[in-house]
Amino acid sequence: MSNDNGPEFLGKNPDGSNPGSRTNNDPDLQLAVNREGQVLAMEELAETEGSKAPTRSAPKMSFGRWATQLGWRHAVAIIAVLFALFPILYIINVALNPVGSLSASCPPSKTGISALTCLAPSTVDFSNFTAIFNDPLKPFGTWFANTLTLALVVSFLSTLMSAAGAFAFSRLRFKGRRPGLLALVLLQMFPQILAITAIFILMTSIKEVFPLFGLGSVWGLLLIYLGGSLGVNTYLMKGFFDTIPVEIDESAKIDGASHVRIFFGLVLRLALPVLVVVFFVTFTFIFNELAIARVLLPDLRDTTLAVGLNTYVSGNLQEWGKFAAGALISAIPMLLVFGITQKYLVTGLTSGAVKG
Amino acid sequence: MAEVVLKHIEKLYENGFHAVKDLNLDIADGEFLVLVGPSGCGKSTALRMVAGLEDISGGDLFIGERRVNDLPPQDRDIAMVFQSYALYPHMSVADNIAYGLKLRKMPKSEIQARIKKAADMLELNDYLERKPAQLSGGQRQRVAMGRAIVREPAVFLMDEPLSNLDAKLRVQMRAEISAVVRSLGTTTIYVTHDQVEAMTMGDRMAVMKAGVLNQVGTPQEVYDSPNNIFVAQFVGSPPMNLVQGRLEESGDGVTVKIGEATLEVPASVLDERPGLRQYLGKDVALGLRSEDMEDASLLKEVPPNATLKGTVTLVEALGSEIVVHFDLPGEAVVTDDTKLVAAEIGGDDAIDVGHTGGVKWVASFAPRSRVRVGEDVTIVADIERMHWFDAHSGEAIRG
Ligand SMILES: Nc1ncnc2c1ncn2[C@@H]1O[C@H](COP(=O)(O)OP(=O)(O)OP(=O)(O)O)[C@@H](O)[C@H]1O
Ligand SMILES: [Mg+2]
Repeated sequence: MSNDNGPEFLGKNPDGSNPGSRTNNDPDLQLAVNREGQVLAMEELAETEGSKAPTRSAPKMSFGRWATQLGWRHAVAIIAVLFALFPILYIINVALNPVGSLSASCPPSKTGISALTCLAPSTVDFSNFTAIFNDPLKPFGTWFANTLTLALVVSFLSTLMSAAGAFAFSRLRFKGRRPGLLALVLLQMFPQILAITAIFILMTSIKEVFPLFGLGSVWGLLLIYLGGSLGVNTYLMKGFFDTIPVEIDESAKIDGASHVRIFFGLVLRLALPVLVVVFFVTFTFIFNELAIARVLLPDLRDTTLAVGLNTYVSGNLQEWGKFAAGALISAIPMLLVFGITQKYLVTGLTSGAVKG
Repeated sequence: MAEVVLKHIEKLYENGFHAVKDLNLDIADGEFLVLVGPSGCGKSTALRMVAGLEDISGGDLFIGERRVNDLPPQDRDIAMVFQSYALYPHMSVADNIAYGLKLRKMPKSEIQARIKKAADMLELNDYLERKPAQLSGGQRQRVAMGRAIVREPAVFLMDEPLSNLDAKLRVQMRAEISAVVRSLGTTTIYVTHDQVEAMTMGDRMAVMKAGVLNQVGTPQEVYDSPNNIFVAQFVGSPPMNLVQGRLEESGDGVTVKIGEATLEVPASVLDERPGLRQYLGKDVALGLRSEDMEDASLLKEVPPNATLKGTVTLVEALGSEIVVHFDLPGEAVVTDDTKLVAAEIGGDDAIDVGHTGGVKWVASFAPRSRVRVGEDVTIVADIERMHWFDAHSGEAIRG
């Protein structure tokens, strides 16, 4: 198995296997893990070798045993999957229906449970999708590009900058380190939205001298997001960096490595799981952020997906079809990022807690 | 190859803690020096100052001809082995070993040759492609050694490199490290708080206490003539037995009174330690190692005025010797040093079973001895080998 996906001193079983990327030879379990992802993966970890053994040694077990030992997992998995998939099916159905109203795409059934009639699309029509790309007042393409730029640039810069800050707080001793740390802890306790008035005034004045980074500019919003995310991320990473033994740095120093090399070559490499978590969390946050974006980018011709899509359903004219189509497309980048980072997410989210 | 000289080295931590005080050491080229002392005495701090990982607050540090106080670690031509090994977890064994060489832009062929040599020496050939997590403790330890020796530095620095290993492996690695270091002839400073490592591995040992160097010498020198009560008790296992005694003049000789017993002090002892005469009529602290006592019933003739009596509390027959714990009537020597050593040793020597008062002593008798728990025993003490200390300062009484 591969040992390339994270520092070995973190989250390791004593036998040297890595719980996050553990390969599973049991086809039944494999299925459950695939369908339900993390949840069952964790459950499977809790399972001891001892309780797994009988299922392997007895290829033909009775249905009763199968149900009590393995079957219930499938049941739980299927229910969880349905629960998670239901809104998605619903949205797909609405997006593919040209009428664009909720009641039309999900007509009330005789039983009165209209939601159930939505589970399979009644029509397949892509007019909602073409419509949102051809509305000059509500340019979905621009929204999408804006949001993607914001999310990618902020997540990348934020990860890098907070890693640098966290490295300093974790490894270097300097004047103001303690006050700095305290400030970080305090800052990350308050959500940025609390400062929205101040941010608004700030951005209005910046606009007068430096329009590129002022109110109504994506780059301005980018700076605000970046500033907002640094506190939490730095603090989170500092905690992780502290679990990487300092002797590793010292040993590298004696071996002749510079600070830069120790930072990029060792600490960042060993902290990869937490970097990925920070990147992913920041990315999702920015994709979904509505409140600040609405204040700073009020012009619908140049705003973000969250702000733009919101206008489809918040006015008098509720265009659920277009909203659903837009939402489906917006989900793609998030799915991609999740797909790429997933391997590290499970180890990353838990590895701060256990130090092997 | 280089000598290491520490001149009046001081370490004052930012919080004001004075961890190393006026440390002077001359370590010859190729010498193996063991730095030993109880926990928290500043051994690691001293070693880390030599490595350049900790700033030197005062004094001069020389490696070879150069004063290296202000040189960063990589320019000091040293290699360090850490207690936790500090291997790079994401690199293979070969890459771990080669890391320092790659950073120094050494040609690939030379790197390969050195890895090969180190791997042969440490029997790591089968593991070169593995990651540290896939190795046992002993193997990791060897990789850490390998990483140090491929650099071919002027000085090896080792901070308790064996303390994470189990007892058996420790014995094996102890011999292995000694052999490797000696075959390379590299100057080495080795920090430990393990007795046996200190006695067996080094050419010389340096004993520290609370930031102060107490004694430097070959292990035998330090064992045979400790400078003070602390060194006497810290070096050697079991620790040296101590008791209060009173020096008195009787006729034309000198005696020492221990509890009820009176021992005659031979003229040779007084000649060797002229300072003792100043203590006539005063209390002194007496030290005697367990092997300098014998069961009186085993001797054909018992020298007069050289015996102590005690009550046996525990007998441990080890085959080659019998270790006898007994209570000696008399007054215990209690100083900060004895408390420190008692705390450091803890557990197994603090045997209280059947304690009848007096001072707890340990003697090792020839296996023919038939002493039994609860019985009184007469012990012949080798007064020539007795150690004499000032009861207050704890310093050895000599000149
Ligand atoms: N960064 C620091 N700031 C302040 N005091 C420190 C610092 N590091 C160590 N000390 C103190 O300096 C003293 C010596 O520490 P050091 O690590 O050198 O001990 P040691 O002899 O290596 O002990 P051990 O055998 O337990 O490793 C200790 O009392 C310790 O509390
Ligand atoms: Mg130490």
